[in-house]
Amino acid sequence: MSAGTATVLRYVGVELRRTFRDVGFVIFGIGTPVLMYSIFTSVGDQGGTAGGWAVLAMVGMASYGALGAALTAGSAVAEDKANGWLRQLRVTPLTPAQVVAGRTLTGSLMVLPAVVVVLLTARLLNGVDMAAWQWLALTGLLWVGSLPFTMLGIANGYLLSQQTANVTNVTCNLAFAVIGGLWFPVSEFPSGLAAVAEWTPGYLFARLGHDTVDGHAPGLVTVAVLAAWLLVFGAYAAHGYRRAGRRA
Amino acid sequence: MTTTRGHTPVVAFRGAVKEYGAVRAVDGLDLEFAAGERVALLGRNGAGKSTSIALMLGLEEPTAGSVELFGGPPRERVESGRVGAMLQDFKPVSRLTVRELIGFVASAYPAPLPVAEVLDLAGISHLAKRRVEKLSGGQTQRVCFAVALAGDPDLLVLDEPTAALDVQARQEFWKSMRALTDRGKTVLFSTHYLEEADRNADRIVVIDHGRLIADGGSAEIKRAVGTGRVSFDAVDGALPEGVDTLPGVVGAETADGRVRLRTTDPDATTVALVGLLLPRNLEVTQAGLEEAFLTLTSEPAASGTPAVAEKGAAR
Repeated sequence: MSAGTATVLRYVGVELRRTFRDVGFVIFGIGTPVLMYSIFTSVGDQGGTAGGWAVLAMVGMASYGALGAALTAGSAVAEDKANGWLRQLRVTPLTPAQVVAGRTLTGSLMVLPAVVVVLLTARLLNGVDMAAWQWLALTGLLWVGSLPFTMLGIANGYLLSQQTANVTNVTCNLAFAVIGGLWFPVSEFPSGLAAVAEWTPGYLFARLGHDTVDGHAPGLVTVAVLAAWLLVFGAYAAHGYRRAGRRA
Repeated sequence: MTTTRGHTPVVAFRGAVKEYGAVRAVDGLDLEFAAGERVALLGRNGAGKSTSIALMLGLEEPTAGSVELFGGPPRERVESGRVGAMLQDFKPVSRLTVRELIGFVASAYPAPLPVAEVLDLAGISHLAKRRVEKLSGGQTQRVCFAVALAGDPDLLVLDEPTAALDVQARQEFWKSMRALTDRGKTVLFSTHYLEEADRNADRIVVIDHGRLIADGGSAEIKRAVGTGRVSFDAVDGALPEGVDTLPGVVGAETADGRVRLRTTDPDATTVALVGLLLPRNLEVTQAGLEEAFLTLTSEPAASGTPAVAEKGAAR
């Protein structure tokens, strides 16, 4: 491992420690999806769809938690811009590339506990049963698939003030979750809205999970369109970094 | 001006200009700092100190001219770990302990000091396990100082290191700082307290409106500015003929019925004055350094040259 990589990993270590000491993040970022999942599956447990709903909601809430955690990582960038930490890092040997890589990796790792905790709740509370490979694939896909949202959050963090970034990221989180059918399935939407919803990143992201629990690989279109969203948000993040990161 | 003894200067500004829109924050700065120097960058708020520091750390690019660090581009030198800096307005990063913060910063450098030693040098060993955001202003400032020291860099740059501190905390800060400069580091700090510059630097660079207006040891600067004051009653409210050319006099004015001479040599001025006329209620004082500095920076800066207060001119 090169010294540069070691530095990035140490930076990630520091940022993760800061994240998980943030009580607000732990309660709202990780706790809320679990709570919502527990509530949704106990009140929404209707007859014929019993097992199905527990699985459906599991994917929805794990995706929602992942999305929220990914975007929260961006709000942390805005905080560090405001308190001068990003600027201070620029007068240490850390290169801008290392800082961005570390930030992205941190944001990405923040997603994992949010996903895992919902899956565990589904397994333990609702007895959701799947093959081992499905649990692994679901965790892995929701982790990797959340990268577009990490990018979006980081872009907002670089471009906006701390408060605005926060509000924007929370709004994005709710908007993508609701329109993407993470709370209530798109199948319940009016058909016009459903047609639009199926192209939104939140829907495509959760789709990775739904396909996995259905026992097959995600469709090419799902992956391709989500990758397109990754490119869009990635470009936005690069723009945000160039615009603000140089001066931050 | 201090020469660089044939070595590559640690810092070199060559005709450096930094413009923000219509504002010239740094206006044609030519400066070199040599290894081992302790330099104070002195100027009022908004004189261009922080911008000069941002240029030398590679945080900003000069609009014109060049700035070099150890003979190369500042960014490269910062990334190779030769510089430690304490920036202005650094609020502590939250949810980390002092030890974790310093340990991380140190680990980014190729040859850092042991963390325990850094904490000791900065006088914060007893705070090692405390969360950074829970410290007082003075303690935070010391943590920032420790951040600058952690990598054992060749050059330490401190932007207004004592701006937020009370008198006692300031004294303690400089005590730690001296322990460090005794180890032969090149240190550059900015301040708007001449007193601090005087006590803690062996070279003072005064800038105003982004330009160099004085450069030298504190004695030279005090001499050049004229910190002595000779005053006596003005007979008819006018400035007596010839007082502005007395030995040592760098400024003369009449106000509130008193003639006030600013001088680099109060004794010589007084002796000559008595030979010239019969002063009433003669008063000879050595003005405070702060006042001298205010005088210096309120003079209109002569175009780019390291000039000091011009002679004579009653205002």
